[in-house]
Amino acid sequence: MRSDVRVVLRHWLGADVRAVEGLSEEALDELSDVLTAAREQQARALAAASDEALRQMPPMVRGTVSRLLGW
Amino acid sequence: MTVGTDLATRAELVKLARALGTTPDGVAFAAVLPHEDIRRVRERVVATLYDEHRGAFQRVAAITRVLPTAVNVRIALRAFPPLLAARVAGEMTPDRAAELADRMPVEYLAEACVHLDPRRAGPLVQRIRPDRVLGVVMELISRREFITLGRMLDAASEGVIHDVATTVSTEALLRIGFYAESGAQLTRAVALLPPARLRGVVRDALSGAPGLASAGLALLGRLTDDELRGRLAGFAAESGTEALTALLHTALDDDAVPALLSGVAVMDEDGQRRVLRLPALSAPEVLDRLLRAVEKHDLWQTMADLTNHMSGELRLRVTAACERRR
Repeated sequence: MRSDVRVVLRHWLGADVRAVEGLSEEALDELSDVLTAAREQQARALAAASDEALRQMPPMVRGTVSRLLGW
Repeated sequence: MTVGTDLATRAELVKLARALGTTPDGVAFAAVLPHEDIRRVRERVVATLYDEHRGAFQRVAAITRVLPTAVNVRIALRAFPPLLAARVAGEMTPDRAAELADRMPVEYLAEACVHLDPRRAGPLVQRIRPDRVLGVVMELISRREFITLGRMLDAASEGVIHDVATTVSTEALLRIGFYAESGAQLTRAVALLPPARLRGVVRDALSGAPGLASAGLALLGRLTDDELRGRLAGFAAESGTEALTALLHTALDDDAVPALLSGVAVMDEDGQRRVLRLPALSAPEVLDRLLRAVEKHDLWQTMADLTNHMSGELRLRVTAACERRR
């Protein structure tokens, strides 16, 4: 397993990385790619939902709420 | 998706794809793994994804504690898309989250359900009013959210399962069962079906929409109660030759021979005779595929126990094959 792929898979799977040891190098690369894509997709979806939530709030409280929640 | 992948693996690949926001083809590389390992990967992936942004949702959940329920509901419905509401609900106490959910529209809850952290869904769903849960289930069925419903089955109380089992279409029951997380809970749900509904499930599996025969076989294989499996298989055995032959071919195509034989093994003897004397079994290519599946899954003992109900020449051929391999 390539070291960069190992780092990604360790982050996601922890000790359960053993479950994917039967995969080929190519399959492990694919897994690493879809995990990274999923993370980015989730970040985008949450950012869009948070923006939508802030848009629904009165303008004067948006900044405070945004800072408070880290959005 | 890989042809020949067994049903449990197929269901797990669909669930992994859903968790990762991709298509089953996008995770086809994992088809070589045992389904238990795909499930383990999925559970870890889901945990990592849901844990990544918890801090912000915990802060929102903390704010809701100081506001009255009615105000929280108003703010949520006005400002929070269901995705965010689900993530916040996962950080609230189940009692508090259920209190809010009981005042929200079913459509909103259904959409939120899709995004709910599976690890936190159980205690929450169990506290929501049963009529609301049933409403959400019906809404999810209309959206064909069978993966979400399969996950919810684990969290549902016996009362809700009973209401769902006796209300929704038998086709929906089959599709939900295909994605159920726990075989034991699936068995409890099927056990609650009145005989007429159970027959309906079997009828749909044998003659319904595409994919239902596979779902029916998966159900047969996952039941943890042999008596119930025998009843279900027995209903199937009452079907005509054409329907049973089609089911045999589905089992061969879907690598579901273990499920098929698990049903045949526990059905009554009349049923066993009907199934094991299907003319299709005497076709060399069908018998060859069947025996290869028996070899693959090491089902020689099960097969040997069934030979008594086969007709003359087929019995001789299968018995000879069993004796060679055992």
